[in-house]
Amino acid sequence: MSEDSLLGRLYKDDEIIVEEGTQSRTMYVIQGGKVKVVKSAKGSETVLALLGAGDIFGEMSLFDASPRSATIKAVGEARVLAIEYEGLLKRIKMDPTLALRIIKQMCQRIRDLNGRLISAQRTMHHTSDTLLQLKKAEDVRIKDLEPKIITIVTQLQEKLHAITEQYVHQGESLHEY
Amino acid sequence: MGGAKVTLHDGARVAIIGGGPAGSFFGIFASKLARDMGKALDLTIYERKSFVTHGASGCNMCAGVVSESLVQTLALEGINLPPTVVQCGIESYYFHTLDGSIEIKSSRLSQRGIATVFRGSGPAGSVAKGIQSFDDFLLQKAIEHGACVKRSFIDRVCMEGDKPELYSGGNMLQDCDLLVGAFGIKAGTGKMYEDIIPGYKVPPTVKTAQSEIELGSDWVAHRFGHSIHIFLLRIPGIKFASVIPKGDYITISVLGKDPKADHIKAFLNHDAMKKFLPSGFKVPEKFCHCFPKISVGAARKPFARRTAFVGDASSTRLYKDGIGSAYITAKAAAHTALLHGIGEKDFREYYFPTCKSLNRDNLFGQFLFAANHLMSVVSPISRSYFNIVRCEQKSLQKNTPYSDILWDMFTGSRCYKDIFMRTLHPWWIIYLLGAVVIYPFKKAVFSFINR
Ligand SMILES: Cc1cc2nc3c(=O)[nH]c(=O)nc-3n(C[C@H](O)[C@H](O)[C@H](O)COP(=O)(O)OP(=O)(O)OC[C@H]3O[C@@H](n4cnc5c(N)ncnc54)[C@H](O)[C@@H]3O)c2cc1C
Repeated sequence: MSEDSLLGRLYKDDEIIVEEGTQSRTMYVIQGGKVKVVKSAKGSETVLALLGAGDIFGEMSLFDASPRSATIKAVGEARVLAIEYEGLLKRIKMDPTLALRIIKQMCQRIRDLNGRLISAQRTMHHTSDTLLQLKKAEDVRIKDLEPKIITIVTQLQEKLHAITEQYVHQGESLHEY
Repeated sequence: MGGAKVTLHDGARVAIIGGGPAGSFFGIFASKLARDMGKALDLTIYERKSFVTHGASGCNMCAGVVSESLVQTLALEGINLPPTVVQCGIESYYFHTLDGSIEIKSSRLSQRGIATVFRGSGPAGSVAKGIQSFDDFLLQKAIEHGACVKRSFIDRVCMEGDKPELYSGGNMLQDCDLLVGAFGIKAGTGKMYEDIIPGYKVPPTVKTAQSEIELGSDWVAHRFGHSIHIFLLRIPGIKFASVIPKGDYITISVLGKDPKADHIKAFLNHDAMKKFLPSGFKVPEKFCHCFPKISVGAARKPFARRTAFVGDASSTRLYKDGIGSAYITAKAAAHTALLHGIGEKDFREYYFPTCKSLNRDNLFGQFLFAANHLMSVVSPISRSYFNIVRCEQKSLQKNTPYSDILWDMFTGSRCYKDIFMRTLHPWWIIYLLGAVVIYPFKKAVFSFINR
């Protein structure tokens, strides 16, 4: 189908749709393609989620006027429909049930975050246990510890990746229609 | 006809007459809310047309513009229009007058936020162009939610005891707990109800003219772009004409006093329109055209015990966003039926206010369209207005009140009352009147200098 029949605005690969820290109250619905939710710290980028067609993002700005909590970038070409804040408020005033799907999605995200938090906590406990055991061993030198630490860090990375993947799939199955 | 409180119980039978947008929206929202409430409904939509056929027999004849607010609302509801349904994403409106043309974009959002669609599977003669009917798309959504669709023409409804019974060709099809009239205004089905439902009266209508012209997708994209074109040309008998790009076609929609095929031809032969057509273009002998009625008022008492009318058969916004009104009324009626009950009192108390608010807003709409018509026939005012708008469009970052009024009026993005209130702003009037006075003066000074 031709590009002419797609709605919203076209974003190129890696183009920023929403920037962390900026102030805006627009919400978005993905019409085509994928976007990623990223957090940047000390020059490195952590992907929090990958969203696809039909997914909503930027909905938190509807309920509070805080700056954007994460950056959203296009993955490949993505078409995104912006939902204008003032018009939306007027529509929600007329029909409050319109906000239900947004609230449902936010509930789903809170559940996901809880799950990820618990999973991360378990991994942390496991890591600290391992380090404690190592510390107890008397004749340990830093050099000997290196391979162990590398294994732990790799495990942590894999765990994080698995959690993100799981989150992404859950995101994809959020579509109601 | 008061009676005991009646509600939609688990397994209740709901019959919807008409599978246009209003019927499908009712089906979708009633099923969805029932499921959330832990109930199942036995829901049947009766539709006489098959939207997968080409031409008038499979089409609900309309300009096919899905408004900015409805595109956004549907996306929030999880109903995203696929590219097979959307023929063109619209980002601006052009206004063409005898004094020139201007393009208006939304000052709020820069995007293709309006969709043009075919209500059926495309104009007569368009074979397999990958066009998916908008009405069929919505009907499929209703089916996904559990509604059943039957292709029958309901020619008789009568009340048997407390429950409505539906007939087609002399056969009784079913009785039901709730009857939903979503039959629009074009088929004349509403007249049947005036006899059965005391107090119900179909809305007043006027005739319009519609036509689809095939120009090829390259030409349409090149000349019309992602814009809807409104022509205010003072052609006798035509208030205004709109041209809507849709893939290989343009849809022409003419509003006027009793428009005929000759009015469409007169418009196509007008110099301002000719510029947009291929050189040597001749209006074909046979071209897809129709004269559908458009609602210009409200139905009287669109409800009764176990009966609710939605969409065009009830209330709709004047000249704009009829599909959006179908969404609003159908959802309000579905929620009333499930959350409050299906008695006459329930519909009066919880559904009718939605219709009344649309009707009240149309009073402001009538005023705005009358003012717009007046402005378009009084040259100095329309010239000055468009000059102000042209200046505004050069820097969209600034306040653009005059453009916003035109944008909101023609896209249906805001209610008419909201727009009307903005036109009352003293500065708005002073500035416009100032421009009307200054324009001839400026023109005289320039011509004097250039002499
Ligand atoms: C020229 C024109 C241009 C328009 N342009 C636009 C526009 O650009 N955008 C917009 O939003 N709105 C537009 N409208 C308004 C829009 O068409 C209507 O508001 C909208 O179609 C109403 O939807 P509905 O479901 O109530 O009725 P309809 O779309 O008319 O659907 C009614 C359905 O009921 C079926 N039916 C009727 N009687 C029976 C029966 N007895 N048994 C079985 N089936 C039956 C019909 O076949 C039909 O499918 C326009 C209208 C006109 C006339």
